[in-house]
Amino acid sequence: MMPLERWLIELLLNIVTRDELNAFLRSPQNSAALVGGLIAVSGALLGAFLLLRGLSLTSDAISHTVLLGIVIAFLLMTEVFRLPGDTSSPWLILGASLAGVATVLLTEMLYRSGLVRQDAALGLAFPLLFAIAVILVSRYVEDAHLDEDAVLVGEIGLAWANTNSHCFSNCESVTISPDHDAAKFARRCSNCRELGISPRDERARFTEICSNCREYTPAQAWSAGLLEREPALVFFPKSITVMLVLTLLTLVFVLAFYKELKLSTFDAGLAQALGLRPGALHYVLMILVSLVAVGAFDAVGSILVIAFFIIPPAAAYLLTDRLSLMLLLSPFIGAAGAIFGYDLARGQLFGLIAIADGIAALNRLFDLALPEKWDSSISASMVLMMFILFLLTWLLSPRYGLLSTVIRRAKRRRVFENQVVLAHIHNHQHTATHEIELNVAGLHEHFRWSKQKMSRVLTRLRALGYVRILAGNAVLTERGDRQVHAFRKTMLEAHNMPDLSG
Amino acid sequence: MVARLTLSAADKRVWSIIGGIVLLGALFIPLSQLLFDMRFTYTVRVVALGGAVLGLLSGVLGSFAVLRQESLLGDALSHAALPGVAIAFLLAGRELSWLLIGAGIASWLGLRFLSAILHTTRLKQHTAMGIVLVAWFAAGIALLTYIQSIPDASQAGLDHFIFGQAAAIIESDVTLVSAVGIFVLLTVALLWKEFKLVAFDPEFAGANGYRIGLINALLSTLIVVAVVLGLQLAGVILMAGMLIAPGIAARQWTQSLDQMVILAAVFGAFAGAVGAVVSALDSDIPTGPMIIVVSFLLVLFSITLAPGRGLLWSRLRQRANRRRFAAINTLRDLYRYALSHGAEDYPAPDDFIRGVRASSIESGLRQLRAAGHIMEAGAGWRLTESGIAQARRDRRNQSLWDLYRLHGDELSLPAIQEDRQLDIAAVLPAAALELLESKLKPNESL
Repeated sequence: MMPLERWLIELLLNIVTRDELNAFLRSPQNSAALVGGLIAVSGALLGAFLLLRGLSLTSDAISHTVLLGIVIAFLLMTEVFRLPGDTSSPWLILGASLAGVATVLLTEMLYRSGLVRQDAALGLAFPLLFAIAVILVSRYVEDAHLDEDAVLVGEIGLAWANTNSHCFSNCESVTISPDHDAAKFARRCSNCRELGISPRDERARFTEICSNCREYTPAQAWSAGLLEREPALVFFPKSITVMLVLTLLTLVFVLAFYKELKLSTFDAGLAQALGLRPGALHYVLMILVSLVAVGAFDAVGSILVIAFFIIPPAAAYLLTDRLSLMLLLSPFIGAAGAIFGYDLARGQLFGLIAIADGIAALNRLFDLALPEKWDSSISASMVLMMFILFLLTWLLSPRYGLLSTVIRRAKRRRVFENQVVLAHIHNHQHTATHEIELNVAGLHEHFRWSKQKMSRVLTRLRALGYVRILAGNAVLTERGDRQVHAFRKTMLEAHNMPDLSG
Repeated sequence: MVARLTLSAADKRVWSIIGGIVLLGALFIPLSQLLFDMRFTYTVRVVALGGAVLGLLSGVLGSFAVLRQESLLGDALSHAALPGVAIAFLLAGRELSWLLIGAGIASWLGLRFLSAILHTTRLKQHTAMGIVLVAWFAAGIALLTYIQSIPDASQAGLDHFIFGQAAAIIESDVTLVSAVGIFVLLTVALLWKEFKLVAFDPEFAGANGYRIGLINALLSTLIVVAVVLGLQLAGVILMAGMLIAPGIAARQWTQSLDQMVILAAVFGAFAGAVGAVVSALDSDIPTGPMIIVVSFLLVLFSITLAPGRGLLWSRLRQRANRRRFAAINTLRDLYRYALSHGAEDYPAPDDFIRGVRASSIESGLRQLRAAGHIMEAGAGWRLTESGIAQARRDRRNQSLWDLYRLHGDELSLPAIQEDRQLDIAAVLPAAALELLESKLKPNESL
């Protein structure tokens, strides 16, 4: 990862200065938005296919179970290989995502046995693996980066702090050996533990131990005050690198296999017949989902991450029927959710509404004393923001939105009412009973409508110029007559019947 | 009437398992005090009782969730309860009944939102459930983070609702849960027939004038109640597992709903009590995960060992069948070879017979030799007296089956299920058999 980061930074340094870059990355907001946005992009691209394949909840299962992979890999790293615990190490990510794929295989095996249905197999497997992981975490792992809270919400707000340092000039690594000027020494009792005596005992022997002898990277050396000239350092958050790599991987996969993915999603049988191996593609998809779920674990924990897979594609699905457009829209929705979500965590909704005002209103209303300062979980707020965007899409989508559906239905109802009334008048207007049938005062009874509804429809028909009132009776105008005939004609054609009227 | 009252062997087995587990559960505390000298403090007893009651409830209602293929709904609903807990705390303070009411409302709203999405959009159920699950959960987490910023000691314990903490259960909680639980169980008992219909064949129920919409809504509401009550024990994330695992385990043992529900209740109570006690004894272990592990062990046990359906038995059955077929097929091959060479005891060359049926031949030959049906003859195999007799019987039986299929309707023979492994004489009345035998060609009637 390091050479890649270095290459990226060198690229960026052509555009911005080093100080600007450091200042940008050191801001918690920028780093969080960048990491969240990258998770959203890769999650949304994969999630779109999951949604269309009916596998949305498989991402739930995978994200729950990679936790077990992460915990086991973490315990292996720290307890067996004695490495520093680091949940963004590439080895850990690879190892843990195997656990995700293993779960998919396990559930498939479980329901292929025929004893357990598919939903039950999923519903059984992932609480179990998650439960084992939680027991392991709370019992055996003592590390700030991997506790129950981190499992739930992640630490995206601290993404900026966990960095790799890169040095570009004046790079001096310092090695302090015992004969170095800056070496510090401490006296330590060498046989106290062995003999079980206190250092004051007269048998105690002492040795001098250098307390700061080790190798210092340029960044460490500078902050320890060992260097005179400041090295040109750039601190790059590890989470950004990890997510950047995963996002690129996802993007390359989707672009390279777009045709295959599309076909095997919509018609797996045909894809199989054409030799496109939909089965293999399915597992590659699952591997990528696992990789992204593990990569995002640091930032958003193992539960909230499923929002990044499910919500943006669901919103995009309500906007378009085209797969390509859906793949374009869902990353945008996800990224917007991540970026605005940061503000929501700090108490601002789109910069328009302050949550503090809402809490103040609540306090007045219920006579409570809640603190007005809203400072909440960033990852949860990002999810909520995506949900708000989903709600807006659901409400406003031009084709499948609630509002447009309501409008469309109301319009259809109006057209239907018009047609029923026009047909009624047309049928009766030259008959003997037209005085009874078409009398405006009693017209509503023939339709079993309320008086209000009848007068509303009549007003509308008169405004359209289809109907006029003649001596208390409703009569078709010439325009209304044409309308009725046009409607008759389309209806007859639609039902394939001959027109028997003159 | 007497015959109807006697239980079938399978029924007896299930009821004796149920009885055994109940007895073991009832004697659990006195026995372990006697045998292992374990100390059960008052707190641990309360926790065990609470765990058992909650496990029982979720076992009963979870059975219906499993049968209706809504195992994942429980997952969505339990995640969705979290914001309700947080809001109830903000408005009313830490009073368990209020927290549970809040949880119930939030979870019920999630259910309504789910069906609203399903009715007004083209999103499928799994996506809609995912959205409800994660959005409600995120709202809950956001509110909990906010609550943690309130400087007030009484907030401690709210995050127990995430992973569950049995140690926090006190006697009044158990009373509350039991009261609600009795009400829930009574409802289930009263609407037993309706729930059974809706679980297995909603269309039939609807056609018979039952209001399925209403019954479904009631059943879902009861599931919400069970989920909400269990939150304190199992936590929002793992409640789903506690809900469905006993049902899945019970399903393996029986084909009847009443047995399944009772068994699920017993399994649930067992898992709840054991999980609660273990985690109450070691405060490092959260209760929810422990219960899940215990219930999964029950599922694993049931899936492998349940008589009839269990993996172990079906594997054994498969093996026995394979062995039987190997013997029958080898005998038939040898007999056919011999007949086509003119004599019933004409030996078939070893390499020929191995070439015909490569995989199962070894086992077939071994069995036939052990039964004395064949013997070695040079580089081949020859049928013995008993082998020839056996082969003739088999051939005749198969011919009769063929004739039954061919002429069964024409001779108006009684309808029987065709199972060629059986001796047709055993399943067909003697008179009918005679009719069939008259159709046998002379050379086959040997």
